[in-house]
Amino acid sequence: MKSISLYQDKNTVIHRIDPLSKILYILVAIIVPFLLASQIASAAFILVSIIILLMGKSLKRTVPMLGFSGLILITVVIIQGIFRPDNVTPALVLGSVVFYKEGLLFALGISLNVINILMSFSILVLTTKPSDMVETFVRMGLSPKLGYVLSSVFQIIPQMTETMATITDAQRSRGMETEGNLTTRVKAFFPLISPVVMNSLITTKERAIALEVRGFDSKQKKTFLTEVKKTRSEKVIKIVLAAVLILSLIGRVLIWLR
Amino acid sequence: MKKNSMWSLKLNTASLVLIPAAVGINYIGKLFAGALKLPLWLDSIGTILAACLAGPIVGALCGAINNIIYGFTLDPVSFIYALSQVGIGIVAGVLAYKGKMKGLVGSIITGLIIACVATVVSTPINIAMYGGQTGNIWGDALFTWCTANQFPTWLASGLDELVVDIPDKVAVTLIAFGIYKALPKKLTILYKNDQAIESLD
Repeated sequence: MKSISLYQDKNTVIHRIDPLSKILYILVAIIVPFLLASQIASAAFILVSIIILLMGKSLKRTVPMLGFSGLILITVVIIQGIFRPDNVTPALVLGSVVFYKEGLLFALGISLNVINILMSFSILVLTTKPSDMVETFVRMGLSPKLGYVLSSVFQIIPQMTETMATITDAQRSRGMETEGNLTTRVKAFFPLISPVVMNSLITTKERAIALEVRGFDSKQKKTFLTEVKKTRSEKVIKIVLAAVLILSLIGRVLIWLR
Repeated sequence: MKKNSMWSLKLNTASLVLIPAAVGINYIGKLFAGALKLPLWLDSIGTILAACLAGPIVGALCGAINNIIYGFTLDPVSFIYALSQVGIGIVAGVLAYKGKMKGLVGSIITGLIIACVATVVSTPINIAMYGGQTGNIWGDALFTWCTANQFPTWLASGLDELVVDIPDKVAVTLIAFGIYKALPKKLTILYKNDQAIESLD
């Protein structure tokens, strides 16, 4: 069964780090450049993220994550570079098209920001097993019921994609057209999606019964299958991250006072 | 029999299990739209369906969890857009509860209202993240035209989002309505919390 997550099982230092530290890193990487209002800080965090991803042997897998936003960013550069209202200084002339400095700088800021967020998240997403991530949240105080909901999504979606393939084949073998002009494709959408949706809604009833039989609604305190090992390096990582955050807060205050 | 308020949060097992199914339906809708190369996203069928079945709170939860899962697996930017999915879930739930989603016309109007709410929530996010663009060719073409004609950014960005959201949300609401109508009663009754439970002991 194909997983929807981009996570890949590998045995590296980064994979073994507690998900909580990775979440803290994301917060720091997003908050610090925002506090300092500095593009250099964003760039620095992007660099750090790339190094961490290299250590986790997962840098290549960021490509599909960057793909979608990358496309938008390219159009941002083009549109803002040419059309931004406060454009004055021409920076680059390609034939009859003029790119302006103000628009390009604005687009650069946006791109750095988005890439920074993407890179810091991809450390968490690419090197943490989804079920471990959910477990961390439950340990932090998320209700175990919602924890179940989150982790069951990871199981249900591959199942539904399989049903979807089966139904597409079944409808095609009955002669349904799935290619052609727009009306044909719109018409094909309904006979494809409704059986999958009906099927999945009907199985929810069975799932609910199966869960209740197993004491899902029980008020007993839930226990965990695995135990977390607290190592010293984990503590060091968290302290360093907290220190960076506090330093940047002090930096912000200093900028204000000046 | 007293009718419970639509805001009463009774997360029974059936409603909880509905959430992953709804997220799955959102995902499948998006997948089919991509596979058939339709010019819409169609990625909120599940959210609206869940909102119709189990009310605004479950609808909002579905929307939020949907984007959280996307954020953790495919595209971290979708975390922030969880807000607009929450908006969609709440509005769809409230309108369905008030009985506005009856018949074709009602569904289209519901779709329009959902589109407006989604636009109002998404536009500030679009401006903060991407300087106002949405990533949809038609919407961004309009955005470019508006920016080139000295429209204020919020208006250009809002129109950019609205022009994509209206056909998308109307289509999604119609699909969800069609599916909802066809669901067997024994299933829809699971999520209605307007029944009184009588204890026999």
